[in-house]
Amino acid sequence: MMGWIQQHPMTIVGLVLWMIGILWLMPGKNATKPRPHMIGVLITAVGLVTFCLSCGKANSELADDVMFWTFGIGALMSGVLMITARNPVYAALWFALATLSTCGLFLLQHAPFLAAATIIVYAGAVIVTFLFVIMLAQQSGAAGYDQKSSQSLLATISAFVLLGALSVTLLSEKIDIERPVIPVAVSNEAKDRSDQTNRTDLVEKAALAGNLLSKADAEHPVGNMKGLGKSLFGDYLFAVELAGTLLLVASIGAIAIAPRREQGTL
Amino acid sequence: MIPDEQRFLLVGAGLFVLGAIGFMTRRNLILMVLSAELMLHGVSLTLVTFGRMHQTNEGQAFTIFTLTVAACEAGLALSLVLSLYRKSHSLDIQLWSELRETDMAGPKLEIRTLSDEPTSSYEDIPKLTPAGIVPKDQPRTTATSAATSTRT
Repeated sequence: MMGWIQQHPMTIVGLVLWMIGILWLMPGKNATKPRPHMIGVLITAVGLVTFCLSCGKANSELADDVMFWTFGIGALMSGVLMITARNPVYAALWFALATLSTCGLFLLQHAPFLAAATIIVYAGAVIVTFLFVIMLAQQSGAAGYDQKSSQSLLATISAFVLLGALSVTLLSEKIDIERPVIPVAVSNEAKDRSDQTNRTDLVEKAALAGNLLSKADAEHPVGNMKGLGKSLFGDYLFAVELAGTLLLVASIGAIAIAPRREQGTL
Repeated sequence: MIPDEQRFLLVGAGLFVLGAIGFMTRRNLILMVLSAELMLHGVSLTLVTFGRMHQTNEGQAFTIFTLTVAACEAGLALSLVLSLYRKSHSLDIQLWSELRETDMAGPKLEIRTLSDEPTSSYEDIPKLTPAGIVPKDQPRTTATSAATSTRT
């Protein structure tokens, strides 16, 4: 542990600065005299950039790096501003920005369908509904309970202890999983050749370990629409049916729970 | 020099932790639900990254299910928030602290003083200046109270 701290001083500094920034931005006890906002934003941004830079440069292209920094720092920074916003409408808009940044990260991770679906579901439906409810319920403007947070010091410190533990685990050890090698479009004649048998054996073993239809191969790399559809409607067909039933039950429940008109207006 | 995926896992962990902080500290019901959605974002990012590390589509399939559950959760949570709001006329979660276990210590409920009252942050709302005469066919009590309120 001590050795890890000596090896990654920038990570620790970044985490601490980030935490101080959140504590600074958090709506405090003294609602009448809020702390200056920009200082907290600056501290948080410096901490975030330090934390992200301490991860080091990955072995990838520069363009990938730049896009990763943009979307990653954008997601985390809008997350910070969302949980510290004093106006819930601003919080919802910051959440929309965090969602967009997360969708950018999805795109970088070869998940274009997920990025599109997340934007449609979150930015199109969830945010609009939230804004609708906020405007329905808070017509009088900023409320007192938005200006104060409960137990912000304890919550922030314990959450950052969790984040520190996660970074120790993620940064100190090489994640050593068995990365399956994707065979390069083995043709039928090549399959028959005896020198390929060892390799195909390995691949078949790896394939048998999990769900067969979800494996990516050379024709359908990860995130390919056809491969994703095969995975969803092959391996997870019952789960898809269950999810549909869950949506139906949730919509019925939402209609049943929501206040009726004859019960009076809000 | 770290593998490409580890950075995404770190961002996912950061999003999860930020959502957790928001859920624990904020007192607005809607903001708490939004923070839970932020935690789900972190989980989704981690799932997608794990799926790419193992070269399967399972991570993305799981994320689609997460998306479904998140949509259900948002719909149900908003109708619950509306029905809670109808009862307490406030989005403050601390008004519902009586639902806790009997042996748990509750939050210190603040005595509402004048400075705690909700103050409007919109300062440039045009105010109607009192003009004209008070209509006479209204009930007398409301007319006088309206007159006094406009005078003050």
